[in-house]
Amino acid sequence: MSRPSQHEHQDDHTLAGEYVLGTLSLEQRKALEARLPNEPELQQAVMAWEERFLPYTAITDPVTPSDNLWPRIERSLASREALAKRARPASVVPPRPRRMLHSLPLWRGAAGFGLAAALVLGVMLANEVTEPTTPEYMVVLLAPQTQSAGWVVQASSRQEIELIPLGSFEVPEGKALEFWTKADEWQAPVSLGLVEPGQPIRLRLDELPPLEDNQLFELTLEDETGSPTGLPTGPIEFIGRAVEI
Amino acid sequence: MTDVYSEFDHAAALANCARGEHDALHQLYVHEGARLLGVVIRIVKDRGMAEDIVHDACLNIWQHADSFDPAKGSARTWIFSVARHLALNAIRYRDREVTFDNHDPTELDLDEHFQHASVADEAFDWQTGQRMDSCLEALEPERRNCVLHAYVDGLSHAEIAAHTGAPLGTVKAWIKRSLLRLRECMA
Repeated sequence: MSRPSQHEHQDDHTLAGEYVLGTLSLEQRKALEARLPNEPELQQAVMAWEERFLPYTAITDPVTPSDNLWPRIERSLASREALAKRARPASVVPPRPRRMLHSLPLWRGAAGFGLAAALVLGVMLANEVTEPTTPEYMVVLLAPQTQSAGWVVQASSRQEIELIPLGSFEVPEGKALEFWTKADEWQAPVSLGLVEPGQPIRLRLDELPPLEDNQLFELTLEDETGSPTGLPTGPIEFIGRAVEI
Repeated sequence: MTDVYSEFDHAAALANCARGEHDALHQLYVHEGARLLGVVIRIVKDRGMAEDIVHDACLNIWQHADSFDPAKGSARTWIFSVARHLALNAIRYRDREVTFDNHDPTELDLDEHFQHASVADEAFDWQTGQRMDSCLEALEPERRNCVLHAYVDGLSHAEIAAHTGAPLGTVKAWIKRSLLRLRECMA
């Protein structure tokens, strides 16, 4: 990102205006957000547009949130604080980019299907040996377009998971499947590495906080050496959310 | 339009969030939750996703409340911009991703929504009593509509082009020139 992009030659005030209006592409938005922490003038330009346009949010009608939204926020706050109180060394806290405007809430759209699919697969999963004293989680990873289950993640403890294939998957030449996870409060997904289609793998999550309810898992199609950016760049092939069982 | 927001001290709420007071975030949510959700739904056009974004926005606000600097802008602006940019990033991310064939039945249809908005344009109640009104007023109506629809509906250049029938390059130029003129007018 050290090479100046063509957008840096544009009038930054106009670019900031387009960012606030929302007309920029994802790549242009990310390029601008990456500049923000180090460029106070650009920050000012963005904030000035935010101030100018904010009154026009009144064009939209308020929509009363569902009754469960605040309790959900409160639970997330509580779990975040519990995590902080654990006072883990900084090195094992998940990477949290400083940019606050980064999130991938889209994942949830597909992840909601996880629970129903988990019930369907109950018989198969009951055969697995588990430890009844620890929290157990399960994730069914579905193909977003067909909603068919492709993989299952099982956790017999909150620090160890197993990714089990339910079928085969054709990876195109020069590509690989990369495995990612993101808990509600994390700013960005974390890579769990590349996986071989059709091969189960067992992973220790020592570098990450304990697995939590609702945590997202996904497999994206990336270059064969993995995502060049450290964040998912390719299409989501399978996605699901952790359910406590 | 009367200032219905003035009775709530957003800056104080953020300062209390920064001190770790859950109740401050709750007060903020009670006061602005419905307006935040309204703004986000209009952009993402999917209620479930919009609630997820408001959830994420509240956690973001909580986590970064201590970095809010009142010298740089108003607290209310900061709060809404957190939610809006989460929503905008989410839809741009969605746009570059797989298309979900199984749409949530509660999802709003963009075309219908846009047509509805366009029909209402004649009586588009966009004036806020702020100085920016007269600057927007000075733009040609079609350019003003582009700007307002981009802001309110989260439309990309390409979506505005598709919905207005104007070429993409024209839409980009309209928006750039409109922004230049707005900035001059507000200077």
